[in-house]
Amino acid sequence: MKNSPALDIQNVSFGYGKGPLAVEGVSFRIAKQSTTILIGPNGSGKTTLLKLMIGLLQPTHGSITVLGRTPEQARMQVGYVPQKLHFDHTFPLTVREFLDLSNTGTDTDVTRVLADLDIRRLARAHVGTLSGGQLQRVLIARSLLGEPEILFLDEPASGIDIGGEQSFYGLITNIQQERGITVVMVSHQIGLVAQQADQVVCVNRTLLSSGPPDKKLTPKTIEKLFGEHVALHEHTH
Amino acid sequence: MFEILQLEFMQRAFIAGVILAPLLSVLGSFTTLRKMSFFSDGIAHASLLGVALAILTGIAPFAGALLMGVALGVLVFALERYAKLASDAVIGIVFTTGLALGVIIISLQPGYQPDLISFLFGNVLSITWGDVWVILGFSAAILSTVLVFFRQITLLSFSEELAWTSGVNTKRFDLLFYVLLSVSVVLGVKLLGIILVSALLITPPVTAKLIAQSFHSYVALSVVFALVAFMGGLFASYYLDFPSGASIVMFATTLFAGTFVVKTVKST
Repeated sequence: MKNSPALDIQNVSFGYGKGPLAVEGVSFRIAKQSTTILIGPNGSGKTTLLKLMIGLLQPTHGSITVLGRTPEQARMQVGYVPQKLHFDHTFPLTVREFLDLSNTGTDTDVTRVLADLDIRRLARAHVGTLSGGQLQRVLIARSLLGEPEILFLDEPASGIDIGGEQSFYGLITNIQQERGITVVMVSHQIGLVAQQADQVVCVNRTLLSSGPPDKKLTPKTIEKLFGEHVALHEHTH
Repeated sequence: MFEILQLEFMQRAFIAGVILAPLLSVLGSFTTLRKMSFFSDGIAHASLLGVALAILTGIAPFAGALLMGVALGVLVFALERYAKLASDAVIGIVFTTGLALGVIIISLQPGYQPDLISFLFGNVLSITWGDVWVILGFSAAILSTVLVFFRQITLLSFSEELAWTSGVNTKRFDLLFYVLLSVSVVLGVKLLGIILVSALLITPPVTAKLIAQSFHSYVALSVVFALVAFMGGLFASYYLDFPSGASIVMFATTLFAGTFVVKTVKST
């Protein structure tokens, strides 16, 4: 079982209502303890694919296996950080209460994630009053409760200012390495993929390519995904 | 201690209210956060169909209202979830249809219908010891269920997406909440009436939200405000000879307005 993939997506298609398919005939595997980044332009089906993987959506065709089980069965073994959390910002819920509600383990687990994510000072703050970056940290802390084997993150840096993005992604790398978990992340930042991913999955409704970034993230693929005006530049600082 | 509690009908009303105020405010704490105020209003109004059918068939109007309230709550849930219809539109249709059918059926009945008037506006005089026991039994069952599934219901109220990923069966708990809320609303109708019951469900939690420091304090304050509104309103109705349902609602509104003003003054 050690060599079995964390995720196995086979010929998956999905459409919202009677509209065109948002994802069509997508197949790829994700190895355990790896970092995989899904890239593609807006509306390419990245978030839909992620929601299919965690069981929030059901594929119209194909199959998805998460840790050898269906996404619904594997729910308690995965953590999930949504791109944008839709909730009533006047909801009188403190960060500590929010984490307690999501926690099926002990109080120590909550104390640990508060410390790991450096958000102990936010424990008594209302969730609705947090800044974008603070909320993302709280959502990551929540996703780590229950010791998940896979962490799904949908554009996790979308609410964070540009200066904080680099350290934020560094935090995710640290979590991945310390806990030895599988990370699956949606992003449209090509530079990040080159730096941090073991595997890149390029989608634009269908699968364009999947594999190590240095082999699969070619100028031709980037042009196919984002158009000819987008290119990959390496950061030197 | 109080002269009014020497009267048996007031004792019944007082006990019913002391049970119903926490029930409605606890359910209301979730209802307002889920923006389901219109649902509770709709169920209250549409339960008139149950009252009408009960009068027609000769069964207890309270039982008819309860059965119809639950049936319509489940219907709204199914139409929202499976027919993918907008919540407010579904409730609008169910609410008006239930009310219209109820009015038509009652219009076919000869003479004055005292049950109809008490269901429209609530009437402390109409509460029997049998009603008190029914209210006590249902309230105990509903509040126990909420207590047992507090985590699931709160998470679901916060975000269905996060509730799902926390292992909550969102469809099942959503249906459960619709049923619990429908029963609670109909129980409240007996005291406050179809037109006024939403006030005790909505106003105390909204007042509590103004000053709550945490979710637990929000629920606790909702209960306190609901109890104060009920007792204040009941006593005012007795001493000032006002209708009881309307007095309770006005007391709840006064508490909200006072809390709002104090909070606004303090924060400026």
